[in-house]
Formats: sequence, structure tokens, C-alpha cells
Amino acid sequence: MNSFATTLAELPRPQSPGLWTHAWRRLHRDRVGFASLVVVLLYCVLMVASGAGLIAGDWSRETGVSFAPPSFMGPDAAAPSAEPSPAADPPGSPPEDLGIVDPLADALAEIRKELAGVSVSESKAPTLAFGADKWGRDVLKKAIKGTETSMLVGLVAAALAVFLGTVFGAQAGYYGGRVDDFFNWFYSVFTSIPYLLLVLAIAAVLNQKGTLTVILILGLTGWTGTFRLVRAEYMKHKAREYVLAADAIGASHSQRMFVHIFPNVSHVVLVQLSLHVVLFIKSEVILSFLGFGVGVDTVSWGSMLNEAQTELLLGNWWQLVAATVAMAALVTAFSLFADALRDALDPRLK
Amino acid sequence: MLAVPMASDAADPGKILHVTFQAAETGFDPARVSDYYSGTVIEAIFDPLLTYDYLARPAKLVPNAAESLPVISDHARIYSLRIRKGITFTPDPAFKGKERELTAADYAYSIKRFLDPRIRSPYAFLFQGKIVGLDELALRAKTSGRFDYDAKLAGLETPDRYTLRIRLKQPDFNFSHVLALSLVGAVAREAIEAYGDDTHSHPVGTGPYRLKSYTRSSKIVLEANPGYRGKIWDFAPGNDARGREIADRMKGRKLPLIGRVEISIMEETQSRWLAFQGAETDMEYQLSEVAPTFMTEDGGLRPEFARRGIKLDRSIDPEIIYLYFNTQERIGDQPNPLGGFSKERIALRRAIAMAYKVDDQIRIIRKGQAVRAQYPIPPGVAGHDPSYRSGIPYDPRSANALLDRFGYKPGPDGYRSQPDGKPLVIRYSSTPSERDRQFDELMKRSLESIGVRLAIHKDRFPELIKLENECRLMMRTAPWIADYPDGDNFMQLLYGPNAGQSNNACYRSPEYDERYERSRLLPDGPERNRLYREMTRLVEVDTVWLLIESRYRNTLLQPWVVGYTKHPVLNSEWLYMDLEPRPGN
Amino acid sequence: MLAYVLRRTWQFVPTLFGVVVLVFIVFNWIGGDPAYLLAGKMPNPESIENIRRQLGVDRSYAVQLWIFVKQVATGDFGVSWATNERVSAIFATRLGPSLIVLVPMLVISTLMAMAAAMLVAYLRGSLTDRAIMIGCTVGQSISILVYILVLQYVLAYRFGWFPVQGWGSGFAENLLRYSALPIVVGVVVSLAPDTRLYRSFFLEEINQDYVRTARAKGMSEARVMWVHVLRNAAIPIVTNVMIQLPGLLAGAFLIERFFSIPGIGREVILAVERSDFPVIKAVTIYVAIATMVLNLLADLLYKAVDPRVQLK
Repeated sequence: MNSFATTLAELPRPQSPGLWTHAWRRLHRDRVGFASLVVVLLYCVLMVASGAGLIAGDWSRETGVSFAPPSFMGPDAAAPSAEPSPAADPPGSPPEDLGIVDPLADALAEIRKELAGVSVSESKAPTLAFGADKWGRDVLKKAIKGTETSMLVGLVAAALAVFLGTVFGAQAGYYGGRVDDFFNWFYSVFTSIPYLLLVLAIAAVLNQKGTLTVILILGLTGWTGTFRLVRAEYMKHKAREYVLAADAIGASHSQRMFVHIFPNVSHVVLVQLSLHVVLFIKSEVILSFLGFGVGVDTVSWGSMLNEAQTELLLGNWWQLVAATVAMAALVTAFSLFADALRDALDPRLK
Repeated sequence: MLAVPMASDAADPGKILHVTFQAAETGFDPARVSDYYSGTVIEAIFDPLLTYDYLARPAKLVPNAAESLPVISDHARIYSLRIRKGITFTPDPAFKGKERELTAADYAYSIKRFLDPRIRSPYAFLFQGKIVGLDELALRAKTSGRFDYDAKLAGLETPDRYTLRIRLKQPDFNFSHVLALSLVGAVAREAIEAYGDDTHSHPVGTGPYRLKSYTRSSKIVLEANPGYRGKIWDFAPGNDARGREIADRMKGRKLPLIGRVEISIMEETQSRWLAFQGAETDMEYQLSEVAPTFMTEDGGLRPEFARRGIKLDRSIDPEIIYLYFNTQERIGDQPNPLGGFSKERIALRRAIAMAYKVDDQIRIIRKGQAVRAQYPIPPGVAGHDPSYRSGIPYDPRSANALLDRFGYKPGPDGYRSQPDGKPLVIRYSSTPSERDRQFDELMKRSLESIGVRLAIHKDRFPELIKLENECRLMMRTAPWIADYPDGDNFMQLLYGPNAGQSNNACYRSPEYDERYERSRLLPDGPERNRLYREMTRLVEVDTVWLLIESRYRNTLLQPWVVGYTKHPVLNSEWLYMDLEPRPGN
Repeated sequence: MLAYVLRRTWQFVPTLFGVVVLVFIVFNWIGGDPAYLLAGKMPNPESIENIRRQLGVDRSYAVQLWIFVKQVATGDFGVSWATNERVSAIFATRLGPSLIVLVPMLVISTLMAMAAAMLVAYLRGSLTDRAIMIGCTVGQSISILVYILVLQYVLAYRFGWFPVQGWGSGFAENLLRYSALPIVVGVVVSLAPDTRLYRSFFLEEINQDYVRTARAKGMSEARVMWVHVLRNAAIPIVTNVMIQLPGLLAGAFLIERFFSIPGIGREVILAVERSDFPVIKAVTIYVAIATMVLNLLADLLYKAVDPRVQLK
């Protein structure tokens, strides 16, 4: 395995476009892989557009009636024709005089006089393009907004997890000895605790809700796989001639670790990154089920699926379908892209 | 159908009732539990001194293990009861093969257990500060480490084998209700001592059922107690057709009729709903999330279900759900923008209360299965006033105008600041669950409509309760379910000295407290009701609570279930029910 | 060999200590105080203090940690704070149901995924291969929550092939009647990712020199697959399954909750909700030990099957 020939082949050739250009060509030839790249990029555009508020910025507006069906189904015949949501209740008839004075009585009486006669009413759509949720919010817009959140969670958490895994793995693999022992110990502690408890534990430590928490939970628990692979790579590479050569010209440890070796293991990291994005997008759903999802200001596919659980029994399938389809399309494309990427970067595995 | 064999009536082991619990039980030691589901099973296994008439509404006390209702003397300070002779505990190895008769001493022992520090009973408050000498005994136990059950106690006397005399420190007209609580059923000292720490899974009682097999937090199987004293179904129906129908079917029969009750714990609504639909369960009420699939809008059963012979039993639970505001000026070391009784602060609380979309909560979150609460005492509980209308209407426009008037100026982002110019952020606390997420959303929508910025505080339930008891939550939606059907159980929620226990708004009003103290010395009646109305109005004027709703309980019954109607206080109606053979069996 | 096993077992100690400290810090220090939950509807300072004293949470952290270490050493975690049941009894009664569902699920899904993976590895590069792989990717991209919701609704309720949920007392009844649908769901969920993973194991072997040699000797492709590739690819597959098992014990909570199976995962969620620290501690430690032991077994298995593997 560790023959002289392979070592030669993997010597760094900084000026030559080698690996990456070849990989790009191979990826371009892989039609499925390329198509999935396009889908992933489209999703990225959607995410950026939504994040910038260009689309679905008004996702939280209640434009339809509660559970308005999708337009192609027509309005729900069984639903009450008029939304029984009054702009205001009639002012409470003052209970019998109990001799207790309301300090706000005068102010309220004046306000009522001022407001008398002014009436407001808003009408709500009986159907929406792909239906409405329980508050009457457009499910399509929610799905777009959910795409933004879920992708953000997946990408950032994966970046965090892979970053941690790479840094830890590089230290452990490069230095070996005590450092390696320490990181290995840390690794085995983390992998020995049941994942569910680890998640609940970190959630309890963070003790806050919101997108950032979800990212941290996933990122802080998900670094172990990358760690193992990167550590193995660094162990392999640190004894290679090019690293010894770098040592000879006086490169520091961190230079050798990240300037010299890292480019040669970056394909492993990149594949790990794309695999983790997929994994974390799916994990977010489970976190939502456990009550550690995103905050109330925003929406994610996980929060939509959890809302949709009982809606399905009520016959309101659209939110479940919207979130499932949006998620399945991205996750499929991303997985296929990750496969193609791995094949392109590591043609021996084909 | 007509020829019901009356004489041979006895619990039929072939009659198996399948029911579900939505959450795991804790166990079946009466002094050690506080959750609803454990209490339900305990009610079937143990006999309290008193119980309630199955059909009478509002709930009416009737004797159970006692021969008659207590004789109350010395201005409701002394309660005397006589225990029926010949009631026996279910056989248990702890009795060493001997028949064990229920005596007055068993009740005295069972009551003492609530204050034993080693038991750490969550329902100790029922007896704390009430029975002469008992608190002192508990205090001694704390220092000595052992509760002296044999010590003579002036407050709990058994002059003979069957007589129990309870002496209270203060007059208390509600004490009979305490004696009717299922948790105050009699346990046998030998059994409790024999099972040590594991009393939860070895309940030994005198009630209609006994524990047959038990897989904790999964499956509980009860079987009819063959030695049960043989209660006869004898209740007078009220003026409703259903009550009369039930009475016709059940009158004169020897109880219990159902030989076996199998309880499964099912957390997920989909599982419970599909299980009922597939006739895997016989009755199910924990389905409010999917109510529109089987309920019509006017509260009836959808025709496709009625055609299958499925029956619906509908009643309002004796509970209130309310939004409370912390009325203290400071929370910890932070100023509380909601607290205090200055006009601006009351105006802010009032505005939030007026902007909260109660109607959306009932219509959308509860799927219409709740009624707006107008009075702090829910229907079916003594002291409820059906004519009282809440003085806090839903009116976001007036709420906005009120805030404008009291100097809560909106900033450029549309959110208001405090009158002194400091930023205004209201904190609302809830647990991290999908159910509570809906309330967060509703609160957010409501406060957006008056330009008040909301921060959601999430914590696990035990932590929320801890903070609440330290008066450190600003605002939370809380439920209160009647422990016993008397208004006092609700009005104490706002009594100043109860801050840190049940007064979660930490409301301290001398006017309220003075009236509450007077009300405690009065029996249920117009005089007490007048005080309750004044107290309610005080709470409204100070805007301590927003009363939101009481939920309907819609119980679906398979066609073969007979005699069920939800009792406002009792929870395991299994004793009074029957099952017909299933079609095809 | 024995020396290796002993050394690896000795290495359990620091790992276990790390687990103990981590769990202790997280759940004791930062996690919940169960006293308020146990104190009921009307807690007062005395009852809270009384409960805290009885649970021992009023003692210093050092003492509590020492108690925890002793519990790990003796394997006796005392009684549940919420229910007073012995923790060992909780674990003993929950393990059976978990295994009744998990073991058949793992066996079936592994066998099916192996068959599928071998087929597509054999047909590697063909249209069938690509179609199945894309199908697997799509199948894998749908959340397990959706699978459970839909399969329970359709197979159990609409078609009535299975009970919607439940758990009995007999082994056969549980396995054949109540576990059937949960096993189906588990297999459906894990089939796609397993097939993809195992395919890569097969391909790895197919590209090995010895396979090329076998082919060069004139061995038929089918024989190469059945004799050489299958045997060698089976090793990573079996170890992969072994390593998965402890995680699944606590991780199958979704299936357990929807199908009312009294398993470990459901118990963990309940324990966390109730701040039932003794149960949390026990489950963590047991699962950690199971993880370490199975990892060791997996390494030994490697060694037994492939003498070239060096045990270090």
C-alpha cells in the first residue's frame, strides 16, 4: 500500500492544476452528479434570495383562512364560510357594581368613544397556491423560508462539525503520542455516550432556543466521524517525503499541518462536509420532534413536519407534502452530488 | 337485550376494557403521587371515606367506606366518621394469609403518611397546617429522622375500631372534599411496611380493582377485586336523556361489572386515534388535536361515526387555563416592566390581556373544543357564577390606544418602549414542545398587534416550575385543575401568602387577601359567592390574570360501552360501567 | 491476544471516567432540579428542602460525583427519583422489548441490504445500478418521521395488516404481532442507506488485487462474488451492525413512542423530561459500556477473520 510509487504520485505539485481540474472534468462528465449540482445551486440561490428578503419575506403574514386548501382543490366546502374572527369583542358589560373602581375606567371610556364607528375588517383568501397552515400562512412561502433555515442549519453545522473534526484529527494524527492519546480519549468518550443523550445534554447546557442552538447541537456532536478519517490521513501523510522536506526547509508545525498536508487531505474533508450537510438537515427534523428546533420567529422543515403530524389526520396533507418534497429534493440532490464529488476526487473507488 | 340477568351479575373476567393514558404514570402509592394518571388507577384500587354520586351534577358527596357523611361539629372543626364493618383488603403476602379488615386506624395512618418527610408527598398541602398536632409530629420526624406513627394525636383519634374523629385547627367547610379524594384512600400499614421503597408497584387496597400486572410506563392491567364489598348501582339521573338512559341500563346491578381493565400508555396522538378507530381501544378522550375529524362544529358527533354506533360523551373539565402576569416590581434583580400597580403598569397588562387572541386559541389550537373562561371558578365547581362576564374583552384597537395614552411610544421599528424611554421587552415562558410552540406563535402574533416586543423563554418543565415558585417568570400560560369541586381550590391561587406555592402571579393585594380569609370561614352560599365576585373583580381591575378557557372533554365510546358519563371529579368511571359483547364475538 | 483484550479493557477505565464526568457536569450542574417537579402542585420551601435532602442533591458536587463513581463501580444506581423503582429493574424490563424490535430489524435489513448491495455491485456501472442507487438516495432523503406517520396510517389503519400499536406479555405475541410493523418501518428506513454503504464495501473488495487474481485465474464472476467478495465484504458489514446496536438502543425512541413499545429510548426521553437523574446515569453508563465492548468485539472479529490485521 505504502509503496514508493503511490507516494511519488501524491507528491504536491503546487503549480499544476492536477487534481481539482481533473475532478471538475470528471464531475462534468457525470450527468447525474452535474444535474444534482445544478439543483443544489438552485437551492442555494433560493436560500440567499430568501435570506435577503427577496422572496417569502412575508411568510408570516396570515393571508388565507386557517387550513385554506391548495388552489387546485378549491375552497373547503365544509369550512365555515365566514371566518368567525371578530376584530374585537363587544366591550365587556360591566359586571354588577361591586364597589371596586377600575383605575383605567375613564381612559377606556374615552378610547371607546373615540373608536366608536371606526370599523376595520380584513378579508382572507379561501384558498392559497399550495394551501395554508393553521394560522392561514402560505405553506409555499413557509417551505421557502424553511429551505433557508434548514439549509443554513445544515451548511453551518456541517462546517462547524467538519472544522472541529479536521482540527482535532490533524492535531491527533500529526503530533501522535500524548496529543493523540488525549484526542482519542475525547473521541471515545463522545462516541460512547448515546447520541440522543448527548443531544439532550448539549441542549440542556445551551438552554436556549433558536437556530444557533440547533447549529451548535449538531456541530458539537457531529465531529467524530471526520475526526477519525482526518486523523488517519494525517498519520499517513506526516511521514511522507514532502512533509519531511518541508521540515527540512524550516516550516513550522502548523505550516506543515495546514499548508502542506491539508491540501492533500482536503478531498476527504470536502466529501465529509457534503455528507454532513445531508445528515444534519435530516437531524434537524428529529431535534424539532424533541422540542429543540428553531425558534418561533422562523420556520424550518423540521418545524413544519412536526406541525404537520396531526394535520395529516385532519386531512390537511399539504404542509407535510410541501416540507417532505422540498427536503427530499435537496437531500437527494446533495447526496448524489456528494457521491459524484467523491468519485471525481477519488477515482480509484469507482 | 331486555332480559338482562340481574341476579348473576358479577364482574365478568371476559369483559375487558381497553383504555389509554397519554403520559406515563408515576406509580400507585397514594401518598407519593400527584399526576392525573396515577391518581386514576389509585382511585380504582383504594377506597376513600367518601366519594361522589355518579350522576348528580354539580358533584354531590356520598359516603363510600364511611357509613354516612361526616358529622361536622364545633363550627366545622370536628369531623366524625364511622367506617363500614366487614370491608377487607385484597389478600396479600404482607397479611400472612389472614383476612385483613379495614378500620378507622387505617385512615388515620394513611393521612399521617402525607406529612411523613420520608414520603415527601406532593399532596402534603392537603393536611399541612390543618390537623391538630400533625404538623408538630412531622416537625419532630424531621429532626429525629423517623415519623412516629404510634404517637397519640389529638387531631386524629380512633375512639373505637370503626370511628375516626378528625380535629381541625381552623374551621374548614371543605374538608369533606379532601376526605373524598382518591389519594386519601386507605392503605394497610403492614403492606406499606412490607414493600418499603417499592410501594408504587404493590398497591394493596379495598377498592373495586386490584393490580394484576404492571409494566411501568407501558401497560397497567387491573382486575376486579373478587372480595369487593359489592356496591349496587343506585343513582338518580338528572334531567337529561343520557343520564336516564344510563340509569335504565345500570340500575340495581352489582358492581363492578367489568372484569379487567387494560391501560396502555400511548404518547402519540396518531397512535391513539388509529387505535380507537381500529377498535383496539374502547374509549378515548385524548384526541382534541384531531377533534374536527369526528366532531361537528356544533359539538355533535359526525354522522359517519354516529352511524357506526360510536357514542360521544361531552362535558367541560373542571379547570381553568389562564395567562398570568408577575405583579412584582422586580424579578430577581431586574426591574419587571409588567409589575406593580401604577396606572401605566396596569394599562400595559390590560393591553396585553385585551390583545391576546383568545378566540384563536380556542378555534385554532383547541380546534373549538374549549369555552372562554369568564370566572376563575369553572363550571361544575361550587362557587361558579354563570352570569359573570369578564371585564377584559378582546379588543386590540383599544389596547393600542391605551398604550398610546399611557406613554408607551412606538419606535421607528414599530415596537413600543416604556414610558421612561427604556426598551420594552415582555418575556413569555413555555416548555420546548410542539404543543407549546403553538402558544408561542399565538402570543407573538398577539403582541405584534400592539407593537410590544416579545422574548420567548424556553425551559424544561421542572425548571419553569422552579423559577415560577421563586416569582421569577414574567408571564406564562398555566392550567389549574380542580383537586376537589369547591371554589376555594381556585381562589387560593391569588392569595398573597400562597406566593411561592400556587400563587404564580405573586399577587399580593390586601383587599383580596382580607376577603379570601373571610371566605375561608364561610360555607358555600350567597355570602361567600358575593366575596368571590368581589375578588374576581379585584383581579380584573388589577389585571393579574387573563382568564382564557376551560376545555371540553370529548370522550368517544365504542358501541359496546355502556353506562359511561364523565364525572367532574372522579376519574376512573370503570366501576360504574359495563361492556356488551362486541359484534362478531 | 489475551494481553490485547486486557489492555483494551483497561482502556475502558479512562473513557468511562470521561463519560461519568461529562454526564455528571451536564445533568447535575446545569441540568434540572427535580425537587420542584416532585413537590407537586403546592410546593413550599420546606418540602423542597426535604426532597433535596432525600435525593442527596443538596450535598457538595464532589460528594455527589464520588457517589456516582461508586455507583458505576458497583453497578447499583439506586432507585428512580420519579417512581422509586430500582434503576436496574427499569433497565432489565426495557431491554427485552428494545431487543425484540431491534435484533430482527437489524438482521432483516442487513440481509436485504447485503443482497441488494451485492446485486448492484455485481451490475456496477449499469443502468440498474444507477437507478437503484438513485432510488436509495431518494428513499434516504425522506425523514423517518414521515415514514412512521405514513406507514402506520396506511399499513396498520387503512389496510389493517398490523395492529396500530401495542405490546403484550408473551414473547411470540410481541415478536410476531406487535413488533412486525415497527420492524417493517425500521427496515424500510435503514434499507436505503445500508444498501449504499454496503455497495461501497463490496466495491472496495472488488477492486482488490486478490479479486483480479481470481478473475485472472479464470474464476467466473459469480463465483468471485459469492466466494471471495462476499466473505470479505461481510466483515465490515457485520462490524458495522455491531457498532450500531448500542446507539440504536437509545436511538429508536421515535419508533418506540409511535408504536407504544416499552423500550429504552422511550424511557430515556421520559427520564430527561422528569429530570430523573439515576435513570439517565444508568442508561448512559450501560450504553457506553456496551459501545466499548462491542467495539472491542468488532476488532477481535476483524482479527479472527483476517489474520493480516494487526492488533495494536
